Amino acid sequence: MPEIKNIIKGCLAGSRRDQELLYRRHAAKLYAVCLQYSGNDDEARDILQDGFIKIFENLIHYKHEGSFEGWMRRIVVNTALEKYRSKHNLHRVDDIDLIPEQDADPETEDYAGLEAVDLLDIIRELPPKYRMVFNLFAIEGYSHKEISQMFNISEGTSKSNLSRARIILQKKVNLYTRLNKNVVSG
Amino acid sequence: MDNRDANIDLLFRNGLKDYEVLPPVEVWNNIYPVVRKKQRPVLLLRSAALVAVLLSISFLIYRWGHEVSTSSENPFIAVRDQSNKSRDNASTAGMDKAVPVRSVQKGNNQTSLLPDESDSGALSGYSDPESMNLNPLAETGNLQSDYNLIKPEELTAIRDFKPLANISITPDFKGLEGISYEDTKAKIDRWSIMAMASPTYYLSSVTGSDGMARQINSSEQSQLSYSGGLAFAYKINKRLSIQSGLYYSSMGQEVDGINSFAGFRPYDYTKGDHNFEVITSNGVIYTNNTDVFLLDRSGNRVLTRYTNDVFDPDKAHLSFINSSLHQNFSYLEMPVILRYKFIDKLIDFNLIGGLSYNLLVNNSVTTIMDGNRYKVGTTGLNQFMISSSLGMGLEYSLSNKFSLNFEPTFRYYLNPFGEAYGLKAHPFSFGVFSGLSYKF
Repeated sequence: MPEIKNIIKGCLAGSRRDQELLYRRHAAKLYAVCLQYSGNDDEARDILQDGFIKIFENLIHYKHEGSFEGWMRRIVVNTALEKYRSKHNLHRVDDIDLIPEQDADPETEDYAGLEAVDLLDIIRELPPKYRMVFNLFAIEGYSHKEISQMFNISEGTSKSNLSRARIILQKKVNLYTRLNKNVVSG
Repeated sequence: MDNRDANIDLLFRNGLKDYEVLPPVEVWNNIYPVVRKKQRPVLLLRSAALVAVLLSISFLIYRWGHEVSTSSENPFIAVRDQSNKSRDNASTAGMDKAVPVRSVQKGNNQTSLLPDESDSGALSGYSDPESMNLNPLAETGNLQSDYNLIKPEELTAIRDFKPLANISITPDFKGLEGISYEDTKAKIDRWSIMAMASPTYYLSSVTGSDGMARQINSSEQSQLSYSGGLAFAYKINKRLSIQSGLYYSSMGQEVDGINSFAGFRPYDYTKGDHNFEVITSNGVIYTNNTDVFLLDRSGNRVLTRYTNDVFDPDKAHLSFINSSLHQNFSYLEMPVILRYKFIDKLIDFNLIGGLSYNLLVNNSVTTIMDGNRYKVGTTGLNQFMISSSLGMGLEYSLSNKFSLNFEPTFRYYLNPFGEAYGLKAHPFSFGVFSGLSYKF
């Protein structure tokens, strides 16, 4: 199997074979990222498509420092952000204190039986603004300050959106877990 | 609450960490044309830059050659150094413009060819050249050349120059005895042999507004080809020569979007000549390797009885090889070229034009897996081709016999390489030939 360095070299030389090889090797993982950031399959396909075009265009700037997969993932995430920004605006949420904490159900914190496909479905059911903030904070590891700069919102709004996202996710996870348990016991 | 938050974050982070979902097939089909389109301008820009550089070099070489020849043709007038000096003393005060002249100095004993105040009496009666002693060869012991300046007044004096009367001139042919007439006659080398080679860029675009023409034009890209060989030239006259020889040209192109799979032989139930035909601008590719299965997912360039409803390579678990085919073909060329020398300087410039007769000697279609080429079939190509060529040749003389040649040449093929179901292709190529020639 050719090394990634050789594939990148081939891509830079315009080799269709290497471009396709690079795509085939990483498309599945990156498509999962696209699904995670999008509400529907069409949007995910667009993100993957535009993301890969950017990857090929920017390969020349890749410095071979750090993980290549991480570099590609960042490009795809940025593409998803651009798509989101062109469609939505994050709204300030000031009523975070009004959300009751007891919404989270402590008895179902055993998440047994939850598969990746379930988690993906759950995350995609989130409202777009919550999904973006949760993905960036919890999955990608960005800080609220960074997220607030990305969307031109306050850090408070970012925190509020994250809290709401977590509450919704917790509820859905509990629901999925309960359903799974019923299926197993039934 | 914080713990629960961290847990839910971790649940999603770890749960989705290595998750993979296969994207739909059409995503790659949409990506590739965009990437390729964006690469094309780069290729065009590079070609344009190459042409610009070649033109610039040609222009600079021409200018340089022109300047050198111009400066060597400056007229000089022979005058005696001493006479200039005396003239300077007499009448040069205030002179600011002068004409360069050449003088012959003969030690202290000098003979001026210019009218001088002191010589005027002797010069005035000049009429009989035989009585004038103009025997420079007899007195060349201390000759040295020099360049001096002559003033405008002196030019008037030269114009008013009158034949000398009292100077006896005795022609001396002794010095000429050793010079053979045959040696001085310029010997013309009419024949020359040259070895030339060139990388060539070959293009073949299909005309037509239908989808097939668009599909073909957008999926084919030329590979860098080469051409080289030996040629003889005969000089008809000083400017015109005719040239012929034998060249070998290798050309090729990559046909994208045709997926090839290996392992088809067990499923091949036919005994026909070929299982697949692929329409390209150069003609139809006919497969002759029964182990290869071809599929055009994005178009309909592949003609076969094994259509998607009959056979699915994915279900049969055939091994994917590559998504492009490589057409390679070679010709033996016999050119008949006329070259006209329109600038005959240190670097000669020639206009080159003519026809070439091409005989097909190699024809193969391959696909590549891990750097290894696998033969797929052949292209239905014409055995004979005729091409016209036009170019500009630069010839730099290294010596009387050897010269360096540099010839950017455009070649247009008068007939298509092969028939492709009514599609019309107009192949052409561009190459920069360089090489060495020997005159004899």
